[in-house]
Amino acid sequence: MELWILFGSFTVLLLIGMPVAFCLGISSLSTVLYMGLPPVIVFQQINSGMNAFSMMAIPFFIFAGDLMIRGGIAERLINFAASMVGHVRGGLGQVNVVTCTLFGGISGSAVADASAVGGIMIPQMKARGYDADYAVNVTANAAIIALLIPPSHNMIIYSLSAGGNLSIADLFTAGIVPGLMLCGALMIAAYVVAVRRGYPAGVFPGMPTVLRTLAIATPGILLIGIIFGGIRSGWFTATESSCIALIYSLLVAAFVYRELGWRDFLEATQGAVRTTAMVLLVIGAAGAFGWLMAFLQVPQTTVAAMKTVSDDPYTVLLMINAILLVLGTFMDMAPMIIICTPIFLPVVTAFGVDPIHFGVILILNAGIGLNTPPVGSVQFVACAVGKISIGESMKTIWPFYGASVAVLLLVTYVPAFSLWLPSVFK
Amino acid sequence: MQALAQSLARFLAPISRISLWIAASGLIVMTVMVAWQVFARKVLNDSPSWTEPGALLLMSWFILLGGAVGVRDGEHMGFEIGLHYAPAPLRFAMKLTTHVLIVLFGLYMTVYGWQLTEKTWGAKMAGISIPQGMDYLPLVVGGVLIALFAFENLVNQLARGADTVVNAPGAPASAAVE
Repeated sequence: MELWILFGSFTVLLLIGMPVAFCLGISSLSTVLYMGLPPVIVFQQINSGMNAFSMMAIPFFIFAGDLMIRGGIAERLINFAASMVGHVRGGLGQVNVVTCTLFGGISGSAVADASAVGGIMIPQMKARGYDADYAVNVTANAAIIALLIPPSHNMIIYSLSAGGNLSIADLFTAGIVPGLMLCGALMIAAYVVAVRRGYPAGVFPGMPTVLRTLAIATPGILLIGIIFGGIRSGWFTATESSCIALIYSLLVAAFVYRELGWRDFLEATQGAVRTTAMVLLVIGAAGAFGWLMAFLQVPQTTVAAMKTVSDDPYTVLLMINAILLVLGTFMDMAPMIIICTPIFLPVVTAFGVDPIHFGVILILNAGIGLNTPPVGSVQFVACAVGKISIGESMKTIWPFYGASVAVLLLVTYVPAFSLWLPSVFK
Repeated sequence: MQALAQSLARFLAPISRISLWIAASGLIVMTVMVAWQVFARKVLNDSPSWTEPGALLLMSWFILLGGAVGVRDGEHMGFEIGLHYAPAPLRFAMKLTTHVLIVLFGLYMTVYGWQLTEKTWGAKMAGISIPQGMDYLPLVVGGVLIALFAFENLVNQLARGADTVVNAPGAPASAAVE
């Protein structure tokens, strides 16, 4: 009965349009009241859910990403990518994918990627005769790479949802190879579509130009090294490195590129509060919900239920992938990670799947969900930038879905893609 | 109802603006604290014990004040398709239920947050010399603000009646974390 109240009220509240943070809090509170436990537990758990030092990395990274966009760091990365791959057939599509990867290496946000890279690339592509749907679909799908390449604050959300014991450095490292695989797969898809549609090839600007754009983009690229090197070597914690990334991008934007004014800074600060306080509140409220799930032995029950269905880890992973893909079509990324992790992680670990590996699977799944209607925030942003409807984008998005799902299956069934690189650093 | 809505807005708009700025300043001070922690450890070879609990305390204020402002501005992540496709009277009922429940939740948060604050006020936090109860104070203030802002939403909804248009499902402000 307690479980029915917990999950039933959560589902009903979610369906009537209640914000996720309050769905979690109110369903936990009702369950505790029903069980006759002291209600104070709920608020104690919410409070401790908000008290993890690694959570702070989330506003810092988001804030830093916004400063990089406003301060011209994103634009210079695009110029560098354009000089490298712009001459390939359908070159701007290739530029788009490479830039999303580079920019993902500093922002970690797929929506920021889609709006920053898309905002510059999509109009350019349209002006040079590429179809809008192609420009939009390349951007939207390539933006997902940002979620896998460090620093990915979604990996931090996953680590927190898993109880905070998973190494963020390992999670960051585990995402690199799958991120590059997705980059490669999307470049191939973009190339094939470009050849079919007869898009032109650009002209190679020559090595001097490549080197010059590289030099100008260096501060941005250096940041990738600082963040990753700092965390991996154990010099800084993830939170400290996010703070350094924030101060570094502030300094570069304000004093090196001189594109960031006081007004931009204030707007970025407000934006960071508005975007991240909501997510952190969901994480906090999930503290109470997760405590109840553990108290009511939900993970054990789910594991037992899954074992009656199948004994084979591959079948279970396939099922979980299917469930996650469906959930991803209508759930936002952060709530999905926060709610699904405590339910599915015990299941997959019971079947011998490494938690780090599962993190990559979960995030890639949720990432693909950002490009699927009805709730696909990345697709939504890219379509808005490209001025086409979601329906128009859906007609020709399939080669890109194909590439993403192929990478998802490879990542799911070959654990080494995720686990090899972290093992190298151990 | 219209008059009540207007006077509530006059009273709550500045409170919401101030809360947002406190949260934003909190974010900047958090940044400075963590930066100082790194500098002190790496350069001065002396790890300060107060930066981590201090920054965590600020983060609680940041989350709850920012979260409360998000209630007023309707920026929280949720599942809006149901609202979008529901017929107007049902949608009205869904909205009212949501607002009423959030008011109640905010009040619960205030009462029990206060209980926790009182109980732990005597003890000192680890690493920083302030009462442990300070850690729960954001729940109290956040709870009050959440209840107030949700009440304002409720009044606005009642004043507007059943035929309000809900935004199409799209990207809320918080989508940027994705």
